[in-house]
Amino acid sequence: MLLAAAGTILLVRFAPGFFSDDREMDSKYGLAARSEIQAENDRQRSISMIAVSELKGWLRGDFGESRQYHVPVAELIGPRIAISASLLVRGILLGWMLAICAAVPISALRKNQALWGSPFTLLLAIPAAAMATACILADAGGPVLALSLLIAAREFKFLRSLLEGAWRSSHLLHGRARGLSPRSLLFFHIVPNVAPQLLALTTLSIVTALGALVPIEVIFTVPGLGQLAWSAVMNRDLPVMVAISLLMAFAVGCAGMISARTATLEEA
Amino acid sequence: MKTRIAAALLLLLIVGAAFAVWLSPVDYAFQDRDSIMGPSTARHWTGTDDLGRDRTIRLAAALLIGLAGSTIAAGITTMIAGAFGLAAAFSSRAVAGILMLLSDAFLSVPWLFLLMMARSLLPLTASPLQTAVTTFLVLAVLGWPACSRAIYRGASQLRSAEWMIQGRASGLKPMQLIRTHLLPHLHPLFLPQFLICVPAFLMAEANLGALGLGVGEPMPSWGGMLMELGNSALLARSNWVYLPIALLVLVLLLLETFAPESETNA
Repeated sequence: MLLAAAGTILLVRFAPGFFSDDREMDSKYGLAARSEIQAENDRQRSISMIAVSELKGWLRGDFGESRQYHVPVAELIGPRIAISASLLVRGILLGWMLAICAAVPISALRKNQALWGSPFTLLLAIPAAAMATACILADAGGPVLALSLLIAAREFKFLRSLLEGAWRSSHLLHGRARGLSPRSLLFFHIVPNVAPQLLALTTLSIVTALGALVPIEVIFTVPGLGQLAWSAVMNRDLPVMVAISLLMAFAVGCAGMISARTATLEEA
Repeated sequence: MKTRIAAALLLLLIVGAAFAVWLSPVDYAFQDRDSIMGPSTARHWTGTDDLGRDRTIRLAAALLIGLAGSTIAAGITTMIAGAFGLAAAFSSRAVAGILMLLSDAFLSVPWLFLLMMARSLLPLTASPLQTAVTTFLVLAVLGWPACSRAIYRGASQLRSAEWMIQGRASGLKPMQLIRTHLLPHLHPLFLPQFLICVPAFLMAEANLGALGLGVGEPMPSWGGMLMELGNSALLARSNWVYLPIALLVLVLLLLETFAPESETNA
């Protein structure tokens, strides 16, 4: 997280126009006030100064003030977290359901797997922005469906190859030969074996969904973190950008730790 | 067989696009003000956009620019990832740890978000060519972490391979070992990463462009052409507006056939 924050600060510090202040062009400020603003900006030019002041703020729970909206960043981010989290959770759950429902029967097929999986291959080749636009144009489905289709396409590919290997393993052949039903083979022999890989895939899903969040929220005008991130990026709003990148790094880090921890427990 | 058909189709598309651009009497930025949002005619085969620009020429140029940019960017990314992965695999554990920590830091922020941030922080006043170069350069510079992990894993296995141990035991110097034994084995490690990066970069450019952060106008790009889908007046007049997305999906599908099945990590 610290590395992500340092990287963001470094990028923003060297961005053109970072030190420009719209107050300097405001006629209501006098010459003295404008010189004071310039002097204040000059004092904040060093990377270490920016990093130290940002770090101090974070430790106090203060993420600074948005340059664009002139309100505290925490106030901007707070309500949007719930909106984006809800979209992410629903999108990931629906995406996984779609992927599992398709991957389980298709992976068990002996031939024509590519043919049955072709809708997912097609979905995989559609950019997130195009998927969202297509949903709007077709007037079918909202951001959740667009996100879930993206997740389903990606996870189907991994799930199919994972399950395909599992179906062909020697202990499964033995189980089949003993006449076990496909359901008991799936729930008692395949799922326990592929569970650790599935957990790792969940982390990947979160990263994929977070990446797709920006175009989907922007195109569907969902007032979530993705849209705020895009707006901050377009307007070079440093405090918002740093806060969101920290939040993203935190979410991905937590997801990674949870999946690693659960996998360890599973193996134990 | 599948990859041969895909390669032939892709080559056909590239040659067709090159001929369309080359033989066209006007360039992609030329505006025919008498044919704004025009339908398909003998002069403009797939109609014109909201500025009267020929869609066929723009689409052909977008295909060539997108493919060339993505291929070069994928080459640069593979080289950076290769340098990082090999340095980590053939150095001490502490150095490998630092290098992989750096790669993890990049991976901890979603790629598109990182790209968007980096792209937006570049100069405000840039020519279309500069924005195109910048966009693909940003893709190249930020795309390496996932690839470097895969190369690191592969190179670590090479390091402990029996022929490497024998080479070291027979007194070969590190440079000799790298030149005569290691380099020929790196090809199967690097090629899949390169092949994965090309469609991934093409898709990332389309997403960035659709957000207004890609290649600048009037230079045609997939992202810029996807933005046409948001123009309801254009959609009501012509079905040719859907051609760019259809062609982009086709190109991505063709490129995906070259990428190895289990290594989509970009």
